[in-house]
Amino acid sequence: MAAQREQGTAGPAGTRQVRPRWSASTHAGRLITLALAGLIIALVTRRPEFAGVAAPAVLLLAARRPERPGRVGVSVRTSATRLSEGESADLEVTVTGYGDHSVALTVHPRYAVVPEPAPLSGGGASRLPFRVDRWGRRSLGMLEITLRDRWRLTEGHATVDLPAVDCYPRPAAQRTRVVLSRLPSRLGEHPSRSSGEGVEFTGVREFVPGDRQRRVNWPATTRRGRLQLNTFAAERTQNVVILADTSSDVGEPGSTPVDLALRGAAATARAYLAVRDRVGFVIYQHTVRWIAPGLGARHYYRIMDLMLADPGLADVRSREAGITRLPRAGLPPGSLILVFSPLLDRRLVETLRDLRERGFSILIIDVLNVEPSDRRDSLSELARRIWRMEQQAIRFSLRELGIPLVHWDGEQSLDEPLAPYTRRVMVSRR
Amino acid sequence: MRNGPRVRATAAAGVLAAACVAWAAVPLTGAGPIGPVVLAAAAACAAASVARLALGAAPGEALVYLNPVLHAGRLLANLVRRWLWAEGLVIAALVLEALHHPRPWHTGLLGAALLAYLLAVHLAESPARLAVLRPQAPLLAAGLGLLALAVGAAMLPAATGSAADLMAVLAAVAAIAVGGLALRPP
Repeated sequence: MAAQREQGTAGPAGTRQVRPRWSASTHAGRLITLALAGLIIALVTRRPEFAGVAAPAVLLLAARRPERPGRVGVSVRTSATRLSEGESADLEVTVTGYGDHSVALTVHPRYAVVPEPAPLSGGGASRLPFRVDRWGRRSLGMLEITLRDRWRLTEGHATVDLPAVDCYPRPAAQRTRVVLSRLPSRLGEHPSRSSGEGVEFTGVREFVPGDRQRRVNWPATTRRGRLQLNTFAAERTQNVVILADTSSDVGEPGSTPVDLALRGAAATARAYLAVRDRVGFVIYQHTVRWIAPGLGARHYYRIMDLMLADPGLADVRSREAGITRLPRAGLPPGSLILVFSPLLDRRLVETLRDLRERGFSILIIDVLNVEPSDRRDSLSELARRIWRMEQQAIRFSLRELGIPLVHWDGEQSLDEPLAPYTRRVMVSRR
Repeated sequence: MRNGPRVRATAAAGVLAAACVAWAAVPLTGAGPIGPVVLAAAAACAAASVARLALGAAPGEALVYLNPVLHAGRLLANLVRRWLWAEGLVIAALVLEALHHPRPWHTGLLGAALLAYLLAVHLAESPARLAVLRPQAPLLAAGLGLLALAVGAAMLPAATGSAADLMAVLAAVAAIAVGGLALRPP
């Protein structure tokens, strides 16, 4: 890029003052070439008609005006600082102090940032739509500002850095939830086995002094000759801990196990928080980072920020310290643990076995959709078969321990692989 | 964004580039032994300059994520975009014309065509419309008038000899400089 990057100085209301670097435009360069070539050939060949060829170019170049703005004010902000993958937002750019020059804006995007077609705008205020295609904390790139004079013979170039946006993984579709049979004694929305003040009818029993009269079941009372009462299931909340294994990033960018694990985890967190369950989140990578179970929309954004590896937000432990040593606050007893993992890390597999033996209810969502090298030679084929058998053995041993395992391809709704466990409560075995 | 004006300007630039090369080359035998070399260079510059306009601006995507064939194609396209083909065409066409025997009216028409070609290239590669040239029309007319004067001066019978020719050239240059100073807009 011809122009040097200009950091600029901060001005009022977020406006930065940048100094354009002025130069002859490419159009002026061509006219200079025509004029010089004509004059030089005229002098060398002593033929005046070549000097005449240079005349129109010289006259056009003589029209160039020397006045140019030394500094222009640039204000850049985004219409949204938090996006999901594939969502669009606008860059709102205002350029001031450019006089009677025209302004052209060009975005030089960074990886995964896609500028979208924008209406032509010659003025100083523009909205430049863009889209972010992959999750992460994304710097949008650079904005090149080109100022042109009326004759388009001089150009001023300035470059400013664009702000960064947080792009969250796009949550997969999920409407149903896995619910444990044994729930903690905390008010929530899941009907439990014990009777209480909920709305789901569970049976009829005999009236005892102190019961509320509005619950008297008159038809049953008439049949049995004694006062009978309706009973209802207590509604309880449950603790859900989502574990996303992001230690193995293999396959095509955009559909790696890490992408799928985070999209699935985002969907699950949203689904459980919507029914006021307490949701905790653990990321298993080169370190183990976790957030204790919490409630509400604010907690959802804390989880999403943890996915983007916001330092200082979460508690961090080394992977060797292990998930099993997380404190009770991070892994409450009786929690449902939903694991999104390709199961390629042996230490994680051992950790899951250990958690199961300690009585946690675990459900694994397998997000592995790739195989090793697709080369066709016999050695590669043999290695691939051995690898498949190892993977099958790992999954078999987990099932034998009573850990259900479903496979998710990342395309379909999460409801489909989870259907066997969402139709009825999942029995929590000790 | 509408591409109609840009496509029309690109087509005009292509036609004018081909016309300039052909006009400077005729007659083919009159340019001496290096004529074919200069003609080849001019034709290559003309073709590449039109290809550059047709390619447009480079897409912003990173090359490392493309497959090898697309990667090589993008590198070639970037090479075409980077070089100054239009300037090369102007120089090659004028040199080719200079290799022929003096023919002032022929050179004058070539100069006008080259100027039109450069304006068409400018319109094709910028979002500007034809109307952007309207304020420059008086200057263009004056420049073409000076070109006609220079051509006329070259066709007049005059004293021959090296000094006389040099004086004629200097007179033309002086006329252009005076015209430029006099017509400079406020």
